[in-house]
Amino acid sequence: MARSDTKTADKAQRAGEGRIAMLLLAPTMIVMTVVGLYPLLHSLYISLTNYNPTFGGGSSFVWFENYARAFSDPQFWNAVGLTLIFTAISVAASLVLAVALSVLFNQRHPGFVVLRTIILVPMLITPIAVGITWRVMMMPDLGVLNYLLGLIGIPPQLWASNASTALLSVILVDIWQWTPFMFLIVFAGISSLPKSPFEAAAIDGASPLRSFFSITLPMLKPVIVIATLLRIVDAFRTYDTVYIITRGGPDFSTDLVSVYLQRVNFRFFDLGYGSALSWLVLIIVLLVVLIFVRLTGFMKLVADKENR
Amino acid sequence: MASQKPLLSRAVKLAAAYALALVATAFFAFPVFWMAGSSVKSELDISQYPPVWSFTPTFENYAKLASELDAFDAFVNSAVIVGLATTLAMVCGTMAAYALARFDVKGKEIIAFEVLSIRMLPPIVSVIPMFIIARALGIFDTYWLLAAAYGLAGLPFVVWVMRVFIQDIPQSIEEAAMIDGCSRFQTFWRVTLPLLLPGLAATMVIVFMFAWNEFLLASMLTSQNAKTLPVIAANAIKPKAIAWGLASAAGVVMSLPVVVLVLMMQRYLVRGLTLGAVKG
Repeated sequence: MARSDTKTADKAQRAGEGRIAMLLLAPTMIVMTVVGLYPLLHSLYISLTNYNPTFGGGSSFVWFENYARAFSDPQFWNAVGLTLIFTAISVAASLVLAVALSVLFNQRHPGFVVLRTIILVPMLITPIAVGITWRVMMMPDLGVLNYLLGLIGIPPQLWASNASTALLSVILVDIWQWTPFMFLIVFAGISSLPKSPFEAAAIDGASPLRSFFSITLPMLKPVIVIATLLRIVDAFRTYDTVYIITRGGPDFSTDLVSVYLQRVNFRFFDLGYGSALSWLVLIIVLLVVLIFVRLTGFMKLVADKENR
Repeated sequence: MASQKPLLSRAVKLAAAYALALVATAFFAFPVFWMAGSSVKSELDISQYPPVWSFTPTFENYAKLASELDAFDAFVNSAVIVGLATTLAMVCGTMAAYALARFDVKGKEIIAFEVLSIRMLPPIVSVIPMFIIARALGIFDTYWLLAAAYGLAGLPFVVWVMRVFIQDIPQSIEEAAMIDGCSRFQTFWRVTLPLLLPGLAATMVIVFMFAWNEFLLASMLTSQNAKTLPVIAANAIKPKAIAWGLASAAGVVMSLPVVVLVLMMQRYLVRGLTLGAVKG
């Protein structure tokens, strides 16, 4: 297989290689089309019908009726609003915590490696198990959290059993589970930063706080942006922990879109309407991602990375 | 005197760093500790208030897992489904990653971003069409349906992470093997693949973790035969009689394989989770 003896041989070889590349890509494309794209398109079709299997299978074409209904469905927009609040608070809090932890653990004192590894564990626990555990701990009468609060003189809380604290409670669980994910990534970023800018800043007499905001944060931006984007996408689809802890209640105060859609689809089997809502959710997720990408200059960051 | 002060302030700073680190670790470790503890408490101990901290551990909850929750069947289901899905994603994804890393394919960035967009797709969106199609095809509540869904979900990780790992291997090594008379396939099999093993293992762990922990699709696309571990664990929670000890034991059994496997592969975890964008 000598390379390029003549120009024609070179061309022939490249043509053959192109075919190999397509063969290698084919399985992935087939899986994506059959398991990914086709169901999506099918759901677009269903969203234009009034399909409901409990009414004996028949369905008729209703065009955009489901979408019109969605726009005047207060339950749906309540769910969208709650999901946006949930995502914003959870992602912001876990980002701040993760950066703080990364700075702390970057001091690398003896024993910190072990503590760092322990902190990673929450993100590995099955979300259903996380929900079970926090539900046990947050029981208002028997839960260990109220007991621990009592030790430091704080009155017992109702946690997820009260409409005014339930959303914050499930946000707390999300922060607990996913801060480790952010921490892992931000820490990897912080520990690969070059030393020289910090030494120069120290010589120039910059305070640690000043060098954190002027050097550390700007240099970490690409890593933070990637971690945050992944976290936003995942927070938006949160289902498991909320399903176990509150099922959307009390009084719909934790009714995130995934929980609401589950109810529309599998309690009422209103699949046509559910499909229309799914497409609206998909569009909202894309909008959120697009706005984030625009605000952070994500594509430019990726392009800079490729060029480096 | 002059050298005492910085020494003292350094000692205070060190103590503060340890104190903060320990508080943070306690916050993240406590619920895991509490879950493990609850799983070995008797029914009497678990409903005590104030909570009991020292008790005689009992394994009755673990024994009940098999008899009351069909945990053994669910474990087998989980293992088969996740095994099939991981194989599907790894084989297809690595082939595609190799093509994207080594060949000049037309529009390859578009293909790569199409694969990436799967990562953005909320599972609740594809659950209805999958439900309808699966019932029409008669594969509802079988291994195949969930295996296909999880395989798809694993693809973006495999394609993007393996592409970076393959690009990290100098192309000159492959060219040398080909000049020595190896075919492209032989080169891949004998030269590239052995170098990729750590990357493959790390990626596999990530795909495994997401599939193993998945609940939403598993709960809606199974009813009797293909129930996975998270589904039966959620079944331990009923509105009235909640079996906390049993549920905690299920949580421990479910989480243990992921915790052990991922901590073994910790070195590559960052790269895997960020789809190759951040080096660990």
